[in-house]
Amino acid sequence: MLQNYAGVGVFFLIAAIFPLILLATAWLVRPKRPSPEKLSTYECGLETQGPTWVQFKISYFLYALIFVIFDVETVFLYPWAVKFQALTLFAFVEMIIFIGILVIGLWYAWKEGALEWL
Amino acid sequence: MELVMSLSIEILTAILATGLLIIGLVTPKDQRRGIGYLTTAGLLGILGATLFMNNVDKTLLDGMYIIDPYSTFFKQLFLLAAILVSVGSYDYIRRLGYNQGEYFSLLVYATLGMMILASAGDLITLYLGLELMTITFFILTAYRKKDAKSSEAGIKYVILGAMSSAVLLYGLSLIYGATGTTVIKDIAAALQQDIQPIMLLGTIFVLVGFGFKISAVPFHMWSPDIYEGAPTPVTGFLAVASKAAGFAAMIRLFIIALPALQSYWVVIVMVLAAFTVLFGNFVAIPQTNIKRLLAYSSIAQAGYLLFGLVAYSALGVAAILFHSILYVFANLGAFIVVIAFGNHTGSDEIKDYSGLARRSPLMAAVMLLSLLSLAGIPPLAGFVSKFYLFTSIIDKGYFWLAFVGIGMSMVSVYYYLVVVKVMYMGEPPEDSEPIKLPVSIQAALYVTMFITVFFGIYPSPLTNVALSVAKAFFPF
Repeated sequence: MLQNYAGVGVFFLIAAIFPLILLATAWLVRPKRPSPEKLSTYECGLETQGPTWVQFKISYFLYALIFVIFDVETVFLYPWAVKFQALTLFAFVEMIIFIGILVIGLWYAWKEGALEWL
Repeated sequence: MELVMSLSIEILTAILATGLLIIGLVTPKDQRRGIGYLTTAGLLGILGATLFMNNVDKTLLDGMYIIDPYSTFFKQLFLLAAILVSVGSYDYIRRLGYNQGEYFSLLVYATLGMMILASAGDLITLYLGLELMTITFFILTAYRKKDAKSSEAGIKYVILGAMSSAVLLYGLSLIYGATGTTVIKDIAAALQQDIQPIMLLGTIFVLVGFGFKISAVPFHMWSPDIYEGAPTPVTGFLAVASKAAGFAAMIRLFIIALPALQSYWVVIVMVLAAFTVLFGNFVAIPQTNIKRLLAYSSIAQAGYLLFGLVAYSALGVAAILFHSILYVFANLGAFIVVIAFGNHTGSDEIKDYSGLARRSPLMAAVMLLSLLSLAGIPPLAGFVSKFYLFTSIIDKGYFWLAFVGIGMSMVSVYYYLVVVKVMYMGEPPEDSEPIKLPVSIQAALYVTMFITVFFGIYPSPLTNVALSVAKAFFPF
């Protein structure tokens, strides 16, 4: 039992150490010539504007939630579609019920205005 | 098809919950009163359907789902609680004025989660049911979204609930790691040979996780704040049904899956039970808010219920079943009075109950009987159920625990009677008028009162049911 996990442990250790070695090597080899221009915050090549601690619209969160639901739906749909030929009618009905429940959820979110960008 | 038939109760509940959501969507905002009545009718129908399931004993889906008399008993308990809560919610939710369809739909979804929890034969199903119930309760707790206290309670519940779920899940994963199976029956078989230390660690984590869910001391800190902040009908449902659901799953897991470790966990459960009873009763004394008082009293009741698990016998399980079903009626009776009083006066302070006996004799009488039943005064039902709980542990020789329980029952009489004194001896405020109750609330109050008195005087029908269910459930 423990031997089986030892492999995982070794793998985990190497995975943790490897990026450290890379960073250390880069730090040793690279030239260091800092200037104020270089040390300033990088934001897509533009001058930074305003403080970072601003409020985000909660709508992002709602969109993300609805996205996740349909993402998960795809995960379930994919194996079902691949094996569709071998499955019975029962599986088809099951999937219709599953999608139906999700559609009700989308309907609800729509009606309650979760998809509107105010 | 046979599978669908066996799962018909759960499927009907899911259809009811989703149907209520759809009805809430298609009806105009000012015509949603009927949704509450529809919920009660639907739940009554499902309760009727469970009566046909009383003798079914089946294991479905390779042990993942169990439908036995034990789970059916708990399902009936959850449905009874949900029916009483839905009746108590009509006016409360109408006053809020928004999202009526969702409220009742969520109530039914929470009931579905509890049903899955009681029927789970597998650790993953158990966790799924638990999350369906808990996440629904997060939303219900924060339902008064314009009230800061309710939002605070919701956030607290999310954080602490997530933490306790994490602890529970970690414990379940350790048990899986040590035994190589998630099916509850197979875990017991895998533990026949030797017990690894990691198994003990897993058991402790699981115990802590369930300790949070049933609010046993020292894992109770969340409950008074959340009970106070949540909408009152939700508090009632949380205190009664979610606790019973936690017990249903906990008893199945500990008695069916972990009998090999019984000598270890019984010590912890015993200490938890003693602390819970002591703390819950003593801290209830100085409370001035009726919801907080009932919160601490429900912590104490969880302690009494743990006695049945300590006893580890068919009688102990029967006592838990008996106590929890009477606890539904006694506690929800008290909560419906609190809801109706809050609807009328907008206050939950005990001092405002002054002279309630003159303003509404029915409310005062139900409160009196419910509180005395919770305290365990004969001839009310609470006395009989506590008697069985204490008998079950005395049978096993835990005299000191029984003494703690009996002593604390006396303490509880004091703080329950303080409320009664305010209601009966206090003067009603000068500008007060008699409180008129809607017919639905009156009916619910009469039912709880009748059951509390009836099963106190004539407990044997319910005792026989509880004993036969427990004997079928308990393996030894």
